[in-house]
Amino acid sequence: MTLLAEKPNPTAKSNPSAVRGGLLDPHQLWRSLPDAVRKLDPRTLWRNPVMFIVEVGAVFTTVLSITDPSTLSWTITVWLWLTVVFANLAEAVAEGRGKAQAATLRAAKQDTMARLRDGGLIPAAELKQGDIVVAEAGDIIPGDGDVIDGIASVDESAITGESAPVIRESGGDRSAVTGGTRVLSDRIVIRITQKPGESFVDRMIALVEGANRQKTPNEIALNILLAALTIIFLLSVVTLQPLAIFSKAWQAAAPDTQAINAHGVTGIVLVSLIVCLIPTTIGALLSAIGIAGMDRLVQRNVLAMSGRAVEAAGDVNTLLLDKTGTITLGNRQAAEFVPVNGVSERELADAAQLSSLADETPEGRSIVVLAKNEFGLREREPGLMSDATFVPFTAQTRMSGVDIGGRQIRKGAAAAVLKWARSGSDEVAEIVDRISASGGTPLVVAENDRVLGVIHLKDVVKEGMRARFDEMRRMGIRTVMITGDNPRTAKAIADEAGVDDFLAEATPEDKLAYIRKEQEGGRLVAMTGDGTNDAPALAQADVGVAMNTGTSAAKEAGNMVDLDSDPTKLIEIVEIGKQLLITRGALTTFSITNDIAKYFAIIPAMFAGVYPGLDTLNVMRLHSPGSAILSAVIFNALVIVALIPLALRGVRYTPAGASALLRRNLWIYGLGGVIAPFLGIKLIDLLVQFIPGI
Amino acid sequence: MRLPSWLSQHLAALRALLVLTVLLGLAYPLAFVALGRLPGLSGKADGSLVANGSTLIGQAFTDADGNPVTRYFQSRPSAAGDGYDPTSTSASNLGPNSVVDTADSPSLLTQVCARSLAVGKLEGVDGRRPFCTTDGVGAVLAVFHRDGFTGPVTRVVSVNQTGTPFIATYDGVTVGPARNGEDYQALGGVITPVRGDAPVDPVVPADAVTASASGLDPDISPAYAALQVPRIARERGLSEDAVRALVKENTDDRALGFLGEPGVNVLTLNIALDRQK
Amino acid sequence: MAGWLFVISLVVALVAAYRPFGDYLYRAITSTRNLRGEKLIYRLVGVDANAEQTWGVYARSVLAFSAVSILFLYLFLRVQNKLWLALGVPQMNTHVSWNTAVSFVTNTNWQAYAGESALGHLVQMAGLAVQNFVSAGVGIAVAVAFIRGFASKGLGNFWVDLTRITLRVLLPICVVATLVFMVAGAVQNLSGGTDVTTLTGATQHITGGPVASQEAIKELGTNGGGFYNVNSAHPFENPTTWTNWLQIFLILLIPFSLPRVFGRMVGQNRQGYAIVAVMAVLAIASVALTIGFELHGGGTVPQAVGSAMEGKEVRFGIPDSATFAAATTLTSTGAVNSFHDSYTPFGGMMPIVNMMLGEVAPGGVGSGLYGLLILATITVFVAGLMVGRTPEYLGKKIGAREMKLASLYFLVTPALVLIGAAAAFATGNNSTALNTGPHGLSEVLYAFTSAANNNGSAFGGITVNTPWWDTALGLAMLLGRFLPLVLVLALAGSLARQKPNPESEGTLPTHQPLFVGMVVGVTVVLVALTFLPALALGPIAEGLS
Repeated sequence: MTLLAEKPNPTAKSNPSAVRGGLLDPHQLWRSLPDAVRKLDPRTLWRNPVMFIVEVGAVFTTVLSITDPSTLSWTITVWLWLTVVFANLAEAVAEGRGKAQAATLRAAKQDTMARLRDGGLIPAAELKQGDIVVAEAGDIIPGDGDVIDGIASVDESAITGESAPVIRESGGDRSAVTGGTRVLSDRIVIRITQKPGESFVDRMIALVEGANRQKTPNEIALNILLAALTIIFLLSVVTLQPLAIFSKAWQAAAPDTQAINAHGVTGIVLVSLIVCLIPTTIGALLSAIGIAGMDRLVQRNVLAMSGRAVEAAGDVNTLLLDKTGTITLGNRQAAEFVPVNGVSERELADAAQLSSLADETPEGRSIVVLAKNEFGLREREPGLMSDATFVPFTAQTRMSGVDIGGRQIRKGAAAAVLKWARSGSDEVAEIVDRISASGGTPLVVAENDRVLGVIHLKDVVKEGMRARFDEMRRMGIRTVMITGDNPRTAKAIADEAGVDDFLAEATPEDKLAYIRKEQEGGRLVAMTGDGTNDAPALAQADVGVAMNTGTSAAKEAGNMVDLDSDPTKLIEIVEIGKQLLITRGALTTFSITNDIAKYFAIIPAMFAGVYPGLDTLNVMRLHSPGSAILSAVIFNALVIVALIPLALRGVRYTPAGASALLRRNLWIYGLGGVIAPFLGIKLIDLLVQFIPGI
Repeated sequence: MRLPSWLSQHLAALRALLVLTVLLGLAYPLAFVALGRLPGLSGKADGSLVANGSTLIGQAFTDADGNPVTRYFQSRPSAAGDGYDPTSTSASNLGPNSVVDTADSPSLLTQVCARSLAVGKLEGVDGRRPFCTTDGVGAVLAVFHRDGFTGPVTRVVSVNQTGTPFIATYDGVTVGPARNGEDYQALGGVITPVRGDAPVDPVVPADAVTASASGLDPDISPAYAALQVPRIARERGLSEDAVRALVKENTDDRALGFLGEPGVNVLTLNIALDRQK
Repeated sequence: MAGWLFVISLVVALVAAYRPFGDYLYRAITSTRNLRGEKLIYRLVGVDANAEQTWGVYARSVLAFSAVSILFLYLFLRVQNKLWLALGVPQMNTHVSWNTAVSFVTNTNWQAYAGESALGHLVQMAGLAVQNFVSAGVGIAVAVAFIRGFASKGLGNFWVDLTRITLRVLLPICVVATLVFMVAGAVQNLSGGTDVTTLTGATQHITGGPVASQEAIKELGTNGGGFYNVNSAHPFENPTTWTNWLQIFLILLIPFSLPRVFGRMVGQNRQGYAIVAVMAVLAIASVALTIGFELHGGGTVPQAVGSAMEGKEVRFGIPDSATFAAATTLTSTGAVNSFHDSYTPFGGMMPIVNMMLGEVAPGGVGSGLYGLLILATITVFVAGLMVGRTPEYLGKKIGAREMKLASLYFLVTPALVLIGAAAAFATGNNSTALNTGPHGLSEVLYAFTSAANNNGSAFGGITVNTPWWDTALGLAMLLGRFLPLVLVLALAGSLARQKPNPESEGTLPTHQPLFVGMVVGVTVVLVALTFLPALALGPIAEGLS
């Protein structure tokens, strides 16, 4: 683990179950207004069929208002235009948030010159794949690549926002460097791996700006539904005209009104009806929801290479999690001293401490710490013990220790130490077996030929992981622990952590095979990885999150990069993916159920002039036909603005089973969608009735 | 030679259709036609025929001019051809708000009013109904307002009456008679049926004034039969109780006590009456 | 009171039939054994009964069979006056023949002719009644193929499905029902009719014909084409109060039992219960409203009469007639035992609304199930998003392609209805409506709603045997049947290709009351509300005047 991963992660520490984005700054609306107006260009707008229809309608009513002006027609026209502007505003605000980030990134990229190994200087933008460049302290790294020589500390804060420097060196899993970051010390030689204009920073800029945003599969499907609804309502309104003309003609007593005359329903009212019925709310907010979803990931320092991956995250059935660092704290720790042969616990602790003084491994340190905590044994400085000779651990001896005077103390793997001490007993064997069976690692301690006892080293499962996995289970996600441990150890930890399955003694091939097996069964798999040997598995997984500390191979293979290199982030990514879909579904439901109230506002307004009995349908008792129609149009426009914060922030998501989620969202957005417009339209009507001429 | 697949597919379809036609279109119905020749079934298969008609098919008990033959129970009005014509079965298909007569056809309301009046007269009872004039047409006004639906009334016409209107004034305006062929709705009148002061429950039952669905309804309601009993008894010199007993004999109650409505088969009842002599 | 008992007894009977009859249907459809008679038919037709068809081949088989059927029936109608048992009827003209041929092949059975005066017995038996069987068979076959798309076993073989449904399901029930109708008094002969002298000395021509055998399949196959003009109001078609019950039962039997087949084929009976629950909720609500409106609804004439008896038979009475009206329009039957045109304004609106729902509660044989499954698919899409997953129904993901097909499906019928009705008014062809004003508008709206939804019932006042009406309604029926049908098969193909996703806690449950309620809501809000503006100018304007 690198510096970055060991630092506490602010997002992970905050309430893990509620995914929230930044709140909407009202100024942002104002700042995005010019963009919103620019987006009125029909060449851009036609990609959003719902809003395109509204714009066509607005143009139509503008023409009508010019040829046949009235207060009603102009007011409606203005509000129709506002409807389109509000929709554009939602998108512009969402994009605006990314643009600020992009500007920072771009600044880092500008004006960088690359120093080639042969001494030449060329602009960074002209670097090709395979070029070899040199970067020294103070230089900006000109492009993405791998370190092929040297070691350096690098400031990657421009990308990660993390000020602590990281080490980059040739070979191994820390060889990848990113263009735009700054070398703080030493000198490294880099082989450029990016194509011109496709660097990591370029892609980040494109991502956060939402430029060339591809519609995701689910967004496309939803767009189809919205288009179909638009067509159907368009049809239902347009085909109304001959029927209206017939009805008006038959009811000769009916006077001409603002809503209907001998030529049928007036253009203004017809357009109003269409705009109110087609799903403008979701149509207006759909792209903002998508952009904001990506943005929420960026705020958590995760870069998704495609929106498709974010959606897939919501669908994940199986989560592959590395044991070390994700489920357990980094390393094993001494948990217990178990003496044998009548040795006191304190005596064992003392010997264990002595033997570990020079052992700088985390395990060794934890023995010293345990001895101090449990028995108050002060740490002795190895340097102050002149007569001590420390015996380091080697792969051959599989033990380490200390010789002090006549005392030879060794600790290590049971078999090795017992062999060294040429002794052993059933008691020791039993303890060793018990510790192994519980998933711990037994270290036997012996002095000369006497076995003193066993140190119990164990993996410490992070706090709260079990609850987290239970939560996952309720969401229908299986968690699988990946570990290099033997099956027995793995099982013990798996049981303690509460994961559903584990993969012990896992090689990269095993991981790949496991993912394939899951996918065969139709399940979607997410995993994190950092090493080059993780690349195939990352590529195979439906959601592969590469650690930013990892190799470029791993980053290329995955479809997300976590700049914080925090493996638990995967859980949050899943939640963000789900939240994205829920927001879409909730606003679609809201949009559709809104229609009920709008029917009750507009139909009596349109036709009560011909059939006075239809005023019975005016259940809201709206003031006049004009005010009813205008109120519906205004409500329709304002609800877009009102929902922008929700679209950007996302619907509140609490991990729960599907039934509970559906019930909750259906009540809020389904029932809310039925009731809200009744109230909203009535309230607006109470105001607009005072406009003269309405 | 191999046929193109679209052609072979259509040939298979044709073969399938022919096979199924022989099976379902000939064998199946003809087997039942044959079965219908069996004694016990043949009478029904041939249409439940009796000497003077079919017990399932209603008929008109009117003379050549269409006037009721008073010694017979009368059937319901029929819209099948000129009445009870099995070769031209039909309902009236007039809507619930068919209230304005036109030159070539009376409205459903006027038909109902006229029938009610006629039945009332025939049975010697009150034939009045709500929304009916005393002369047996729909009591319907065309009311003209100054501003369409609102404003003071400027003109009122009784649209179904060319003679004296059923009320003299409406909202202070004198009601005028209609002129033939004039469409007052099209002139801007608001069509306004007037309930009048007829009793809530008219004496003449509903089935006596409405045409049936088939135009061949063999039944009348027990209420309509009861209404006719005094006349039949009088015309035939029978006691009302005797007639009532016959009515009861020819009444089909609800099957199982809850299916459908009770109905009196008019043909079998009238045949039974004829047999009494 | 008797009326409510009538409804309750139907509900009880259908509930009782659901499992045993549904299981019987399931076995008939999924059995691996071919009966000897069936093998003979496969040999005569020249098809390989064991060959699985792709959706494309399945669809082409359906279309080929239907095309041949239309052509055959058209020619049959054109020459029937020269054939055996013609009874001296005149030749049927081209446009009525086209309309009738399309009408019977599409399971619509819209009748632009009057049976007793326009058709001979042979064409009734061997032309129309055959289509009553096979068009029902086609509907069920397509529904079964669609279910197979979910169950992921390939779509099956159209010829096998058609043959089995016809021989193992439709024919045996019809044999029993025919016998029952004959016992009740439905005629079954080849007579050209008998002249009788009535009691008052007039002549009445008592008609004959193979009525009982046609009556059985007319109801069972949700066809609805009456032997006579007045359909099930005719005493020879529907002689008694209890045959009326039986007819409604036959209409509803297969549509309400098919969800059982669905449940069994996808291996989860509870999915079938959910679908049948949606159907039942909508159907019971509709029946209750129709009866309520008929008993207490307004309209000047019903008020003058004291009850809505115009166009109803004494033996059926108002509640049972209203129940029939609801049943016939909730399914794609279109048979009538009373005349909807004379219903109270809101009572008459109910049949239109029932059809506008897309005839999914329970709908025509087969078509009702696949129609409702499409609506369920759309519901799954919206609901699935709300639980935070790419929506999936029975393990199959509802992606862009699925949504495209489902959306097109639910666009077709409203488009046909609305464009048709608008065209009628725009071209002045609404003038053939008998009634004026909003009621006349309802007649036009009813005609296109009925045709596009393949119902076949009518607000009978409108005269539709003009070239324009015959052609337009023929097109509405043709497109209203085969476009959705092809889309359904395409969707089945698309679903069958997918590997099923395993169910988990995170999967939207599609068998719980919440989902059932949501499908009901989607059906009402998305489908019915589309028509609200048009309805406002027809029955609603009339009812609120």
